[in-house]
Amino acid sequence: MPRVLIVACGNPLRCDDGLAWRAVEELHRLCLPQDVEIIAQHQLTPELSSPVSQVERVLFLDAARRGQPGELRCEPVLPLHASGAFTHDFSPASILSLSQELYGKAPQAYVISLSGECFDHGETISATVETTLPRFIELVVRLTEESLRTGYPLSPSVCE
Amino acid sequence: MTEKRTIVIDPVTRVEGHAKITLHLDEQGEVSDARFHVTQFRGFEKLCEGRPFTEMPSLMARICGICPVSHLIASAKACDALLAVRIPPTAEKLRRIFNMAQIVQSHALSVFHLSSPDLLLGMDADPAKSNLWGVAERDPQLARDGIRLRQFGQQIIERLGGKRIHPAWVVPGGVSEPLSLENRDAILATIPEALAIALRTLAWYKQISRAFREEIGSFGNFPSLFMGMVKEDGSITFYDGKIRMGDAAGSMVADGLDATRYFDYLGEKVESWSYLKSAYYKPRGYPEGMYRVGPLARLNVVDRCGTEHADQELAEFKELQRAAVLSSFHYHQARLIEILYCVERLEQLLNDPEILSEHVRAEAKANALEGIGASEAPRGTLFHHYKIDEQGLVRWANLIIATGQNNLAMNRSVLQVAKHFVRGNELLPGMLNRVEAVIRTYDPCLSCSTHAIGEMALRIQLVGPAGRVVSEATRP
Repeated sequence: MPRVLIVACGNPLRCDDGLAWRAVEELHRLCLPQDVEIIAQHQLTPELSSPVSQVERVLFLDAARRGQPGELRCEPVLPLHASGAFTHDFSPASILSLSQELYGKAPQAYVISLSGECFDHGETISATVETTLPRFIELVVRLTEESLRTGYPLSPSVCE
Repeated sequence: MTEKRTIVIDPVTRVEGHAKITLHLDEQGEVSDARFHVTQFRGFEKLCEGRPFTEMPSLMARICGICPVSHLIASAKACDALLAVRIPPTAEKLRRIFNMAQIVQSHALSVFHLSSPDLLLGMDADPAKSNLWGVAERDPQLARDGIRLRQFGQQIIERLGGKRIHPAWVVPGGVSEPLSLENRDAILATIPEALAIALRTLAWYKQISRAFREEIGSFGNFPSLFMGMVKEDGSITFYDGKIRMGDAAGSMVADGLDATRYFDYLGEKVESWSYLKSAYYKPRGYPEGMYRVGPLARLNVVDRCGTEHADQELAEFKELQRAAVLSSFHYHQARLIEILYCVERLEQLLNDPEILSEHVRAEAKANALEGIGASEAPRGTLFHHYKIDEQGLVRWANLIIATGQNNLAMNRSVLQVAKHFVRGNELLPGMLNRVEAVIRTYDPCLSCSTHAIGEMALRIQLVGPAGRVVSEATRP
């Protein structure tokens, strides 16, 4: 049973929006321990609440529109009840909320994001994002290792 | 002084894609007309021109994120016709498995994620709670079952096709990889749970649907034709067969129609108020040739399913109304019966001794300049028709999508529901929710049928004759 779940989200046909998928390719090459599961999706869906409920920690990887291109962020995320009528706009917080509601468990979770520059049609990512991507992956690996080393909640400084 | 008014529901919520509904009120505030407008435009038929035909299955799968497999199947069958090959028997069985896994996950999305808030919480529930969280709060087991059933279908697609969305495993001439023993056994191990969910959801649905007598009587409850594909013996099929057209009396007006001659008996009309074309049965003309497709239509035209539990449920279903089952509200029950059938049939196919054969693809170059593929998608019969040149480049394409075939019936259903429930002098959320709910019974896929995803809030406007907005309300 995996202890850490990495959820990559984005559209690899929309340039920088697919940066999390690129990161996943690299993470697969790095051969992370067996108790780490990686899922890559175009968007977050309610079905994710099931695997999310079964792990100790979840790392959501995504491209961000806000901030300066190439800006790296790591933010803890808490369950938040969504009020939308439909499920196209599921957020990490709403996935955690559904996990709590349906399976009685919402693990500690982080959103690791990298601000993109170009979200146009295309399979290439911008030079700015390309330059920052190794640091993004490094951070994901560090948080994963940290998560596996300790069963306790990570300290708030883990993102620094 | 009273005035004529228009109510606009824009966009329609809990459907796949973009649409709006306009209700026209007369001087007394009664509904006089209604229109279901599809406002998104995609144009896949044009953008594929000039592409090599071998790219078509993968390209066409991009039409939709919910039912890419349906387009893969119909497109690959059209390409098989261009190759002029008979695909290996195992490839055909694997495609059938793939298609049924897709039907399970798509139907589960419709029933559990989109319509169960109406069914469980009621049509008059607070719109802010009429969603998956509302369901999770009231009946967490039902919500978990929906998620599990979706996973069941998606995991089969992933095991066969390599990924859940837009897999490229179905290719002209067959499939690209055989099924491994490990994957076969892993899928088989999930069948008992899926079967249990399908059975208990049907039992739940039959219980709660008794509370919707008024909706059953007014949700698209009118005579029409029904179209679906059947096997030689009259049983249900989602992959290949002859086309049957049944009427409201339960008689078959046409049987044994060749799907590759669809243009002989199906016509399409463009209306200025929608990007969605309206299909009709040519011998009856437009709009009298209105017909419905999808689960309700399929179960109306088949003689049997061919599996134990599904046949029991089908017999019960056919007793719902005196002749054909007319009310579109019963699409929900038909959808659940099809899930049940698919789960049972998947088990049979996976236990077929040939299913692990490695001979899964017929190789050939183009041997024909025109090819047509047809199959049953979750929402109804799907046709892909291509013409290519000597270099194998697509020169013309025509797609006939289930939602377009239901367009006339959806419009008539909206009018029927609006006339029954909407009173223009006092607009209540429950009234407008019913207008949307009747559209949800058809589970329209507007991305498919206009060949965008966007904001899903509901805006209702009352517009006076001079175009002035008299009143406006928004829903989260």
